[in-house]
Amino acid sequence: MGKNLFLSIITAFIFSSCDMLECHPYDVNISGERGITHKNIGLIESATAGHTSLRFAMISDTQGWYDDTEDAVKAINKEEGLDFVLHGGDLSDYGMPKEFTMQRDILNKLNVPYLCVIGNHDCLGTGKEAYSAVFGPTNFAFTAGNVRFICLNTNALEYDYAEPIPDFGFMQRELSEIPPEVQKTVLLMHVKPFEMVFNNNVAHAFEAYVNEFPAVQFCLYGHEHKFQADDLFDDGVIYYQCPNIARRQYLIFTINDDNTHQYEIKSF
Amino acid sequence: MKSSHFKIYLTLLFCIASFTQYASGSTQHSQPSDSVSDTTTDRLTPFERRQLKYRQRWDNLIPKYTKAQFAGGMGLISVGPGWEYGKNRQWETDLLFGIIPKHSSKKARVTMTLKQNFTLWNLPLKGNFSVDPLSTGIYVNTVFGGEFWNRNPDKYPKGYYWFSTRMRIHAFVGQRLRFTIPSERRRYSTYITAFYELSTCDLYIIQAVRNSYLKPKDYLRLSFGLKFNFF
Repeated sequence: MGKNLFLSIITAFIFSSCDMLECHPYDVNISGERGITHKNIGLIESATAGHTSLRFAMISDTQGWYDDTEDAVKAINKEEGLDFVLHGGDLSDYGMPKEFTMQRDILNKLNVPYLCVIGNHDCLGTGKEAYSAVFGPTNFAFTAGNVRFICLNTNALEYDYAEPIPDFGFMQRELSEIPPEVQKTVLLMHVKPFEMVFNNNVAHAFEAYVNEFPAVQFCLYGHEHKFQADDLFDDGVIYYQCPNIARRQYLIFTINDDNTHQYEIKSF
Repeated sequence: MKSSHFKIYLTLLFCIASFTQYASGSTQHSQPSDSVSDTTTDRLTPFERRQLKYRQRWDNLIPKYTKAQFAGGMGLISVGPGWEYGKNRQWETDLLFGIIPKHSSKKARVTMTLKQNFTLWNLPLKGNFSVDPLSTGIYVNTVFGGEFWNRNPDKYPKGYYWFSTRMRIHAFVGQRLRFTIPSERRRYSTYITAFYELSTCDLYIIQAVRNSYLKPKDYLRLSFGLKFNFF
């Protein structure tokens, strides 16, 4: 009995110390689950197939606020009838892989699948590589019911023009391959057009691409740590900003089958 | 940016070297050589004496040991020379070069660490063993690669990110076991020290202070090492 207890203590110590043996805070040595985006897109698409209305929550900018993120997860889990949760980027403060895995472990406690876009802080150090390993590609799209969600990397300042940000090639491919069931579109990004981190040389070109998508309902973003709802281009497309998690707020969006939508700001 | 780093490191090394000379002056040089040098230095010209002094000063820059450390935020393995000084050799300075494996990244990376150790006391055990019940210190690690910076590159507005992604400051506590090799069996070392350390770094401390979510396993890091003394 005593021997068993001793052995289990030793094993527990060895297992926890494996995590404690770290080459470097920026070593992209990911423990635990990877490929969250791919897995959760599958879950969302199969669960919402055939739906003509949707209800989802949005959180954003959870970097370094693990306690608040945990509380948000608990609050969101009490919401009724949610299909999924969107995260507006900035899971990490410094781009350290450990930040991504801790955030992943907290968000994995959500009752519904979640998806995260990449934020500017997530690009620092080896953050881009850690984001890709834990979540997946930085541009992705999925279909929930009859709505296509286009999720984009808009952190142009972090890429020095070495990669196209926003990636019009990706948007073009998405436009040419719109699934037949899709009637509406929602766009999700971390940084809105005209913010300094965005490539503002192409802000209006971006608007043109956005308006090519079928019935754009609205655009979602984060980054500036406060709620905002603006018609950025005076073209009728509202850009909603989700507050950062330290404000202890999240948003709930409902997309109805009659081409209308509502949002709520929830505090926890 | 990089050259300024090296300047800092070199300056620190020279400080250590000159400090080493003062600290070890009584123990290392004077004892065995005094009787000889008293008579020989008398016969030297002032210039030859200056030459001797000059050589002795540079001799202090010869590393006293080689250290290899496993993990601890300075690479999977990092190896490098070190200098020890002080009355009981309680101060140690290491210059370690480490490798971060590729893992899920595009490439492996090289890091450099300047580590300052302080050993509080040494307790003799049975035979040739002795133990350092508490050693502590800090180290500064820098990682090479274009994606890391110390100060914000010019593309950002001033002070956009307050921290450095390139340089980390770590603090540690640890324990050591030392084995003194009997003088007749010495080939490459006078003694070998095995140690372990618990460390944390600046950014982990910040996140741990702000969040009760972080448990010791999230912000404490374990590392192991060996030190081979040549002198």
